[in-house]
Amino acid sequence: MAARPRPASDEAREALRDAMARLATGDQAALEEIYRATRVKLFGICLRILGDRKEAEDALQDVYVNLWQRADRYDPTRASPIAWLAAFARNRAIDRLRTGKVRGGAVPVEEAAPLADETPLADMLMVDAEQAAQIHKCLGALDARTQGHIRAAFFDGQTYAQLAEAADVPLGTMKSWIRRGLQRLRACLEASEAA
Amino acid sequence: MSAPEDTGPEVTRDDPMIAAEWALGLLEGEELLAARGKAATDPHFAWRKEWWDDWFAPLTDGMAGAEPSDQVWDGIAARIAAQQAAADAAAASPEAPAVNVVALEARVRRWQWVAGISSMAAAVALALFLTSPLGSPVAPPVQVAAAEPMVATVPIGETGLRLDVTYIPESEKMLVAAIGLTADGVHDHELWLVPADGSALQSLGVVAPGEVRSMALPAAVTAKLSDGASLVLTREPIGGKPEGVDAGPVVAKGAFSRV
Repeated sequence: MAARPRPASDEAREALRDAMARLATGDQAALEEIYRATRVKLFGICLRILGDRKEAEDALQDVYVNLWQRADRYDPTRASPIAWLAAFARNRAIDRLRTGKVRGGAVPVEEAAPLADETPLADMLMVDAEQAAQIHKCLGALDARTQGHIRAAFFDGQTYAQLAEAADVPLGTMKSWIRRGLQRLRACLEASEAA
Repeated sequence: MSAPEDTGPEVTRDDPMIAAEWALGLLEGEELLAARGKAATDPHFAWRKEWWDDWFAPLTDGMAGAEPSDQVWDGIAARIAAQQAAADAAAASPEAPAVNVVALEARVRRWQWVAGISSMAAAVALALFLTSPLGSPVAPPVQVAAAEPMVATVPIGETGLRLDVTYIPESEKMLVAAIGLTADGVHDHELWLVPADGSALQSLGVVAPGEVRSMALPAAVTAKLSDGASLVLTREPIGGKPEGVDAGPVVAKGAFSRV
Protein backbone atom coordinates (compact mmCIF):
# COMPACT_ATOMS: atom_id res chain seq x y z
CA MET A 1 0.00 0.00 0.00
CA ALA A 2 1.33 3.40 -0.99
CA ALA A 3 2.23 5.69 1.84
CA ARG A 4 -0.46 8.26 2.10
CA PRO A 5 0.21 11.52 3.93
CA ARG A 6 -2.00 11.75 6.95
CA PRO A 7 -4.49 14.58 6.76
CA ALA A 8 -3.67 17.57 8.92
CA SER A 9 -6.84 16.95 10.91
CA ASP A 10 -5.53 13.56 12.02
CA GLU A 11 -2.32 15.16 13.20
CA ALA A 12 -4.16 17.85 15.08
CA ARG A 13 -6.34 15.23 16.71
CA GLU A 14 -3.36 13.11 17.68
CA ALA A 15 -1.56 16.14 19.10
CA LEU A 16 -4.64 16.97 21.14
CA ARG A 17 -5.07 13.39 22.30
CA ASP A 18 -1.45 13.39 23.38
CA ALA A 19 -1.85 16.68 25.24
CA MET A 20 -4.92 15.32 27.03
CA ALA A 21 -2.93 12.28 28.13
CA ARG A 22 -0.12 14.50 29.45
CA LEU A 23 -2.65 16.69 31.20
CA ALA A 24 -3.86 13.69 33.17
CA THR A 25 -0.34 13.41 34.61
CA GLY A 26 -0.47 17.03 35.82
CA ASP A 27 1.50 18.61 32.99
CA GLN A 28 0.55 22.27 33.03
CA ALA A 29 2.14 23.00 29.64
CA ALA A 30 -0.30 20.50 28.18
CA LEU A 31 -3.19 22.65 29.36
CA GLU A 32 -1.81 25.67 27.56
CA GLU A 33 -1.42 23.60 24.40
CA ILE A 34 -5.00 22.39 24.65
CA TYR A 35 -6.18 25.92 25.31
CA ARG A 36 -4.38 27.28 22.27
CA ALA A 37 -5.76 24.58 20.03
CA THR A 38 -9.35 24.57 21.23
CA ARG A 39 -10.24 27.96 22.74
CA VAL A 40 -11.77 29.37 19.55
CA LYS A 41 -14.09 26.43 19.08
CA LEU A 42 -15.02 26.11 22.74
CA PHE A 43 -15.53 29.84 23.19
CA GLY A 44 -17.74 29.82 20.10
CA ILE A 45 -19.88 27.14 21.76
CA CYS A 46 -20.12 29.01 25.08
CA LEU A 47 -20.94 32.26 23.31
CA ARG A 48 -23.62 30.68 21.16
CA ILE A 49 -25.33 29.07 24.14
CA LEU A 50 -24.98 31.95 26.60
CA GLY A 51 -25.31 34.88 24.22
CA ASP A 52 -23.19 37.08 26.45
CA ARG A 53 -19.43 37.60 26.13
CA LYS A 54 -18.74 38.02 29.82
CA GLU A 55 -20.74 34.95 30.81
CA ALA A 56 -19.20 32.97 27.98
CA GLU A 57 -15.70 33.93 29.12
CA ASP A 58 -16.49 32.91 32.69
CA ALA A 59 -17.86 29.62 31.42
CA LEU A 60 -14.78 29.09 29.27
CA GLN A 61 -12.52 29.68 32.25
CA ASP A 62 -14.48 27.10 34.23
CA VAL A 63 -14.18 24.64 31.38
CA TYR A 64 -10.38 24.68 31.38
CA VAL A 65 -9.92 24.89 35.14
CA ASN A 66 -12.29 21.97 35.51
CA LEU A 67 -10.49 20.11 32.80
CA TRP A 68 -7.22 20.57 34.64
CA GLN A 69 -8.70 19.37 37.90
CA ARG A 70 -10.32 16.33 36.38
CA ALA A 71 -8.32 15.44 33.29
CA ASP A 72 -8.79 11.77 34.11
CA ARG A 73 -12.45 12.03 33.17
CA TYR A 74 -11.57 11.88 29.50
CA ASP A 75 -11.43 8.35 28.15
CA PRO A 76 -9.39 8.33 24.92
CA THR A 77 -10.88 5.00 23.86
CA ARG A 78 -14.38 6.44 23.82
CA ALA A 79 -14.54 9.72 21.98
CA SER A 80 -12.29 11.94 19.92
CA PRO A 81 -10.80 14.59 22.20
CA ILE A 82 -12.39 17.50 20.38
CA ALA A 83 -15.83 15.86 20.40
CA TRP A 84 -15.48 15.26 24.10
CA LEU A 85 -14.23 18.79 24.79
CA ALA A 86 -17.02 20.28 22.69
CA ALA A 87 -19.64 18.34 24.63
CA PHE A 88 -17.92 19.24 27.91
CA ALA A 89 -17.93 22.95 27.06
CA ARG A 90 -21.52 22.90 25.87
CA ASN A 91 -22.64 21.09 29.02
CA ARG A 92 -20.91 23.67 31.20
CA ALA A 93 -22.51 26.51 29.25
CA ILE A 94 -25.95 24.88 29.52
CA ASP A 95 -25.42 24.41 33.27
CA ARG A 96 -24.67 28.09 33.57
CA LEU A 97 -27.72 28.94 31.50
CA ARG A 98 -30.01 26.73 33.60
CA THR A 99 -28.74 27.77 36.98
CA GLY A 100 -27.81 31.42 36.52
CA LYS A 101 -29.54 34.60 35.62
CA VAL A 102 -28.22 34.54 32.09
CA ARG A 103 -30.78 34.96 29.44
CA GLY A 104 -29.10 33.09 26.65
CA GLY A 105 -30.52 33.01 23.17
CA ALA A 106 -29.31 34.68 20.06
CA VAL A 107 -25.84 36.15 19.98
CA PRO A 108 -25.60 39.75 18.78
CA VAL A 109 -24.17 39.83 15.29
CA GLU A 110 -20.96 41.67 16.10
CA GLU A 111 -20.13 39.13 18.77
CA ALA A 112 -20.94 36.15 16.64
CA ALA A 113 -18.93 37.34 13.66
CA PRO A 114 -16.77 34.47 12.47
CA LEU A 115 -13.06 34.91 12.87
CA ALA A 116 -10.78 36.08 10.16
CA ASP A 117 -8.74 33.39 8.50
CA GLU A 118 -6.22 32.98 11.27
CA THR A 119 -7.90 29.92 12.69
CA PRO A 120 -6.57 26.99 10.70
CA LEU A 121 -7.05 24.79 13.74
CA ALA A 122 -10.77 25.30 13.67
CA ASP A 123 -10.87 23.29 10.46
CA MET A 124 -8.52 20.65 11.68
CA LEU A 125 -10.53 20.24 14.80
CA MET A 126 -13.75 19.36 13.17
CA VAL A 127 -15.35 16.44 14.84
CA ASP A 128 -15.04 13.12 13.04
CA ALA A 129 -16.46 13.52 9.54
CA GLU A 130 -18.18 10.16 9.34
CA GLN A 131 -19.90 10.65 12.63
CA ALA A 132 -20.91 14.15 11.60
CA ALA A 133 -22.43 12.87 8.36
CA GLN A 134 -24.45 10.27 10.25
CA ILE A 135 -26.02 12.63 12.79
CA HIS A 136 -26.89 15.06 10.02
CA LYS A 137 -28.43 12.26 8.01
CA CYS A 138 -30.49 11.00 10.93
CA LEU A 139 -31.60 14.52 11.88
CA GLY A 140 -32.45 15.17 8.25
CA ALA A 141 -34.75 12.13 8.24
CA LEU A 142 -37.01 13.80 10.81
CA ASP A 143 -39.78 16.08 9.67
CA ALA A 144 -38.63 19.66 9.24
CA ARG A 145 -40.54 21.01 12.21
CA THR A 146 -39.22 18.49 14.72
CA GLN A 147 -35.74 18.86 13.33
CA GLY A 148 -35.96 22.61 13.80
CA HIS A 149 -37.01 22.29 17.43
CA ILE A 150 -34.23 19.82 18.23
CA ARG A 151 -31.70 22.11 16.57
CA ALA A 152 -33.01 25.12 18.49
CA ALA A 153 -32.57 23.18 21.72
CA PHE A 154 -29.04 22.18 20.79
CA PHE A 155 -27.78 25.42 19.29
CA ASP A 156 -29.54 28.00 21.41
CA GLY A 157 -30.04 26.09 24.63
CA GLN A 158 -33.80 26.58 24.47
CA THR A 159 -36.00 24.84 27.04
CA TYR A 160 -39.22 22.96 26.30
CA ALA A 161 -41.14 25.96 27.61
CA GLN A 162 -39.30 28.40 25.33
CA LEU A 163 -39.75 26.15 22.32
CA ALA A 164 -43.45 25.72 23.06
CA GLU A 165 -43.92 29.44 23.42
CA ALA A 166 -42.05 30.21 20.20
CA ALA A 167 -44.11 27.64 18.29
CA ASP A 168 -47.31 28.72 20.09
CA VAL A 169 -48.28 25.19 21.09
CA PRO A 170 -49.00 23.69 24.52
CA LEU A 171 -45.96 22.52 26.49
CA GLY A 172 -47.16 18.90 26.37
CA THR A 173 -47.39 19.02 22.60
CA MET A 174 -43.84 20.28 22.26
CA LYS A 175 -42.58 17.58 24.61
CA SER A 176 -44.36 14.89 22.57
CA TRP A 177 -42.95 16.20 19.31
CA ILE A 178 -39.40 16.33 20.57
CA ARG A 179 -39.57 12.98 22.35
CA ARG A 180 -40.90 11.26 19.24
CA GLY A 181 -38.12 12.93 17.29
CA LEU A 182 -35.49 11.79 19.77
CA GLN A 183 -36.84 8.26 19.68
CA ARG A 184 -36.53 8.15 15.89
CA LEU A 185 -33.12 9.76 16.08
CA ARG A 186 -31.93 7.10 18.48
CA ALA A 187 -33.26 4.29 16.28
CA CYS A 188 -31.52 5.79 13.25
CA LEU A 189 -28.20 6.26 15.07
CA GLU A 190 -28.31 2.78 16.55
CA ALA A 191 -29.04 1.30 13.15
CA SER A 192 -25.93 3.05 11.81
CA GLU A 193 -23.84 1.63 14.66
CA ALA A 194 -25.09 -1.88 13.96
CA ALA A 195 -24.39 -1.57 10.24
CA MET B 1 -38.40 13.65 5.01
CA SER B 2 -40.89 11.58 6.93
CA ALA B 3 -44.34 11.90 8.38
CA PRO B 4 -44.80 14.62 10.98
CA GLU B 5 -44.07 13.52 14.52
CA ASP B 6 -47.46 14.48 15.90
CA THR B 7 -49.04 11.19 14.97
CA GLY B 8 -48.63 7.82 16.57
CA PRO B 9 -48.58 6.65 20.16
CA GLU B 10 -47.11 8.66 23.02
CA VAL B 11 -43.42 7.97 23.50
CA THR B 12 -42.38 6.17 26.67
CA ARG B 13 -40.09 8.38 28.65
CA ASP B 14 -37.54 5.73 29.57
CA ASP B 15 -33.99 6.32 30.79
CA PRO B 16 -32.40 6.61 27.33
CA MET B 17 -35.02 9.25 26.52
CA ILE B 18 -34.25 11.21 29.68
CA ALA B 19 -30.54 10.93 28.86
CA ALA B 20 -31.29 12.35 25.40
CA GLU B 21 -33.25 15.25 26.86
CA TRP B 22 -30.42 15.89 29.27
CA ALA B 23 -27.76 15.81 26.53
CA LEU B 24 -29.83 18.20 24.47
CA GLY B 25 -30.02 20.54 27.48
CA LEU B 26 -33.78 20.28 27.97
CA LEU B 27 -33.82 19.21 31.61
CA GLU B 28 -34.31 21.82 34.28
CA GLY B 29 -34.63 22.11 38.05
CA GLU B 30 -35.64 18.98 39.85
CA GLU B 31 -35.41 16.79 36.75
CA LEU B 32 -31.88 17.97 36.09
CA LEU B 33 -30.87 17.19 39.68
CA ALA B 34 -32.48 13.77 39.48
CA ALA B 35 -30.66 12.98 36.23
CA ARG B 36 -27.32 13.97 37.74
CA GLY B 37 -27.96 11.91 40.83
CA LYS B 38 -28.86 8.94 38.66
CA ALA B 39 -25.78 9.29 36.48
CA ALA B 40 -23.62 9.20 39.60
CA THR B 41 -25.00 5.84 40.66
CA ASP B 42 -26.16 4.20 37.44
CA PRO B 43 -23.31 3.52 34.98
CA HIS B 44 -25.70 2.53 32.22
CA PHE B 45 -27.54 5.82 32.44
CA ALA B 46 -24.23 7.72 32.53
CA TRP B 47 -23.09 5.75 29.49
CA ARG B 48 -26.26 6.63 27.61
CA LYS B 49 -25.81 10.33 28.38
CA GLU B 50 -22.28 10.17 26.96
CA TRP B 51 -23.58 8.24 23.98
CA TRP B 52 -25.89 11.12 23.15
CA ASP B 53 -23.17 13.69 23.89
CA ASP B 54 -20.85 11.93 21.42
CA TRP B 55 -23.49 11.83 18.72
CA PHE B 56 -24.52 15.43 19.19
CA ALA B 57 -20.92 16.72 19.35
CA PRO B 58 -20.43 17.08 15.57
CA LEU B 59 -23.29 19.58 15.51
CA THR B 60 -20.99 22.01 17.35
CA ASP B 61 -19.06 22.32 14.08
CA GLY B 62 -21.98 24.44 12.96
CA MET B 63 -21.32 27.01 15.67
CA ALA B 64 -19.07 29.90 14.64
CA GLY B 65 -15.76 30.03 16.48
CA ALA B 66 -14.83 33.13 18.44
CA GLU B 67 -11.68 34.46 20.06
CA PRO B 68 -11.93 34.99 23.82
CA SER B 69 -10.08 37.91 25.41
CA ASP B 70 -6.60 37.42 26.86
CA GLN B 71 -8.00 37.73 30.36
CA VAL B 72 -9.51 34.28 30.07
CA TRP B 73 -6.18 32.50 29.93
CA ASP B 74 -4.78 34.86 32.59
CA GLY B 75 -7.65 33.87 34.85
CA ILE B 76 -7.16 30.17 34.21
CA ALA B 77 -3.41 30.42 34.84
CA ALA B 78 -3.95 32.45 38.03
CA ARG B 79 -6.44 30.00 39.44
CA ILE B 80 -4.15 27.08 38.79
CA ALA B 81 -1.03 28.87 40.04
CA ALA B 82 -2.75 29.90 43.27
CA GLN B 83 -3.73 26.33 43.90
CA GLN B 84 -0.27 25.01 43.17
CA ALA B 85 1.45 27.62 45.33
CA ALA B 86 -0.81 26.79 48.22
CA ALA B 87 -0.27 23.08 47.74
CA ASP B 88 3.51 23.58 47.62
CA ALA B 89 3.44 25.71 50.76
CA ALA B 90 1.37 23.10 52.55
CA ALA B 91 3.76 20.36 51.48
CA ALA B 92 6.80 22.35 52.63
CA SER B 93 5.52 23.12 56.11
CA PRO B 94 2.42 21.19 56.95
CA GLU B 95 2.56 22.10 60.63
CA ALA B 96 3.29 25.81 60.25
CA PRO B 97 0.50 27.90 61.71
CA ALA B 98 -1.20 30.45 59.54
CA VAL B 99 0.28 33.61 60.89
CA ASN B 100 -1.13 36.30 58.73
CA VAL B 101 -3.93 37.21 56.46
CA VAL B 102 -1.89 36.56 53.35
CA ALA B 103 -1.37 32.97 54.39
CA LEU B 104 -5.01 32.78 55.27
CA GLU B 105 -6.01 34.03 51.88
CA ALA B 106 -3.79 31.46 50.25
CA ARG B 107 -5.44 28.85 52.42
CA VAL B 108 -8.87 30.02 51.45
CA ARG B 109 -7.86 30.01 47.83
CA ARG B 110 -6.63 26.48 48.13
CA TRP B 111 -9.72 25.53 49.97
CA GLN B 112 -11.77 27.17 47.30
CA TRP B 113 -9.88 25.04 44.83
CA VAL B 114 -10.23 21.86 46.78
CA ALA B 115 -13.90 22.28 47.34
CA GLY B 116 -14.58 24.06 44.08
CA ILE B 117 -16.73 26.50 45.98
CA SER B 118 -17.74 29.75 44.38
CA SER B 119 -15.76 32.89 44.99
CA MET B 120 -18.84 34.25 46.72
CA ALA B 121 -18.80 31.40 49.21
CA ALA B 122 -15.08 31.94 49.72
CA ALA B 123 -15.66 35.61 50.37
CA VAL B 124 -18.34 34.84 52.91
CA ALA B 125 -16.11 32.27 54.54
CA LEU B 126 -13.21 34.68 54.66
CA ALA B 127 -15.44 37.28 56.27
CA LEU B 128 -16.47 34.70 58.83
CA PHE B 129 -12.87 33.86 59.58
CA LEU B 130 -12.01 37.47 60.09
CA THR B 131 -14.93 38.37 62.28
CA SER B 132 -15.25 35.27 64.34
CA PRO B 133 -15.29 34.55 67.17
CA LEU B 134 -14.55 37.98 68.63
CA GLY B 135 -16.33 40.06 66.07
CA SER B 136 -13.24 42.16 65.48
CA PRO B 137 -12.40 42.80 61.84
CA VAL B 138 -9.16 40.87 62.10
CA ALA B 139 -9.18 37.89 64.39
CA PRO B 140 -5.97 36.88 66.12
CA PRO B 141 -4.07 34.69 63.64
CA VAL B 142 -3.49 32.00 66.25
CA GLN B 143 -7.18 31.36 66.40
CA VAL B 144 -7.34 31.18 62.68
CA ALA B 145 -4.67 28.51 62.77
CA ALA B 146 -6.60 26.61 65.39
CA ALA B 147 -9.75 26.70 63.35
CA GLU B 148 -8.98 24.11 60.72
CA PRO B 149 -11.92 24.32 58.42
CA MET B 150 -13.47 21.12 57.22
CA VAL B 151 -14.96 20.99 53.80
CA ALA B 152 -17.20 18.60 52.00
CA THR B 153 -18.12 18.75 48.37
CA VAL B 154 -21.31 17.04 47.43
CA PRO B 155 -21.20 16.75 43.65
CA ILE B 156 -24.52 16.19 42.03
CA GLY B 157 -23.80 13.87 39.18
CA GLU B 158 -20.86 14.35 36.88
CA THR B 159 -21.01 17.96 35.88
CA GLY B 160 -21.36 21.36 37.41
CA LEU B 161 -23.82 21.37 40.23
CA ARG B 162 -22.49 20.79 43.67
CA LEU B 163 -23.16 21.60 47.24
CA ASP B 164 -20.23 22.98 49.16
CA VAL B 165 -20.30 22.54 52.89
CA THR B 166 -17.75 24.14 55.15
CA TYR B 167 -17.52 23.74 58.86
CA ILE B 168 -15.44 26.16 60.88
CA PRO B 169 -14.85 24.55 64.29
CA GLU B 170 -14.07 27.71 66.26
CA SER B 171 -17.28 29.35 65.23
CA GLU B 172 -19.42 26.22 65.37
CA LYS B 173 -20.88 27.50 62.20
CA MET B 174 -21.43 25.69 59.00
CA LEU B 175 -21.65 27.26 55.58
CA VAL B 176 -23.77 25.57 52.99
CA ALA B 177 -23.32 26.91 49.49
CA ALA B 178 -25.98 25.67 47.13
CA ILE B 179 -25.08 27.99 44.30
CA GLY B 180 -26.05 25.80 41.39
CA LEU B 181 -29.27 24.44 42.81
CA THR B 182 -32.66 25.72 41.83
CA ALA B 183 -35.98 25.26 43.55
CA ASP B 184 -38.70 23.40 41.67
CA GLY B 185 -41.48 24.45 44.02
CA VAL B 186 -42.42 20.84 44.76
CA HIS B 187 -39.42 19.44 46.60
CA ASP B 188 -36.82 20.52 49.08
CA HIS B 189 -33.43 18.92 49.55
CA GLU B 190 -32.38 17.96 53.03
CA LEU B 191 -28.79 17.53 54.11
CA TRP B 192 -27.83 14.76 56.52
CA LEU B 193 -24.68 14.10 58.47
CA VAL B 194 -23.61 10.46 58.45
CA PRO B 195 -21.28 10.17 61.45
CA ALA B 196 -18.06 8.22 60.95
CA ASP B 197 -18.84 6.15 64.07
CA GLY B 198 -21.90 4.61 62.46
CA SER B 199 -24.41 6.31 64.73
CA ALA B 200 -27.73 7.63 63.49
CA LEU B 201 -28.00 10.21 60.73
CA GLN B 202 -28.46 13.77 61.89
CA SER B 203 -30.40 16.28 59.89
CA LEU B 204 -28.54 19.43 59.00
CA GLY B 205 -31.68 20.97 57.63
CA VAL B 206 -33.14 21.87 54.31
CA VAL B 207 -30.83 23.38 51.72
CA ALA B 208 -31.64 26.87 50.43
CA PRO B 209 -31.25 26.60 46.63
CA GLY B 210 -29.01 29.18 45.01
CA GLU B 211 -27.80 30.60 48.30
CA VAL B 212 -24.87 30.55 50.65
CA ARG B 213 -26.26 30.03 54.14
CA SER B 214 -24.49 30.07 57.44
CA MET B 215 -26.01 27.97 60.19
CA ALA B 216 -25.14 27.43 63.83
CA LEU B 217 -24.74 23.77 64.74
CA PRO B 218 -25.91 22.25 68.02
CA ALA B 219 -23.22 20.54 70.10
CA ALA B 220 -24.83 17.15 69.48
CA VAL B 221 -24.06 17.57 65.81
CA THR B 222 -20.58 19.10 66.06
CA ALA B 223 -19.54 16.22 68.29
CA LYS B 224 -20.14 13.88 65.37
CA LEU B 225 -18.29 16.01 62.86
CA SER B 226 -14.93 14.53 62.11
CA ASP B 227 -12.71 13.56 59.26
CA GLY B 228 -14.45 10.95 57.23
CA ALA B 229 -17.92 11.91 58.34
CA SER B 230 -20.03 11.98 55.25
CA LEU B 231 -23.04 13.84 53.99
CA VAL B 232 -26.02 12.75 52.00
CA LEU B 233 -28.59 14.88 50.28
CA THR B 234 -32.13 13.56 50.03
CA ARG B 235 -35.13 14.71 48.10
CA GLU B 236 -38.06 15.53 50.36
CA PRO B 237 -41.39 17.27 50.26
CA ILE B 238 -41.31 21.03 50.78
CA GLY B 239 -40.16 21.78 54.30
CA GLY B 240 -38.05 18.66 54.66
CA LYS B 241 -38.65 15.11 55.82
CA PRO B 242 -41.99 14.84 57.60
CA GLU B 243 -41.98 13.41 61.13
CA GLY B 244 -42.38 9.63 61.28
CA VAL B 245 -41.69 9.03 57.59
CA ASP B 246 -38.60 7.53 55.98
CA ALA B 247 -36.24 9.97 54.33
CA GLY B 248 -36.58 10.42 50.58
CA PRO B 249 -34.17 9.13 47.93
CA VAL B 250 -30.50 10.04 48.20
CA VAL B 251 -29.62 12.28 45.27
CA ALA B 252 -26.01 13.06 46.17
CA LYS B 253 -23.30 12.33 48.72
CA GLY B 254 -19.92 13.62 49.86
CA ALA B 255 -17.41 13.35 52.72
CA PHE B 256 -15.70 15.84 55.03
CA SER B 257 -11.99 16.39 55.02
CA ARG B 258 -9.74 19.00 56.60
CA VAL B 259 -8.34 21.69 54.35
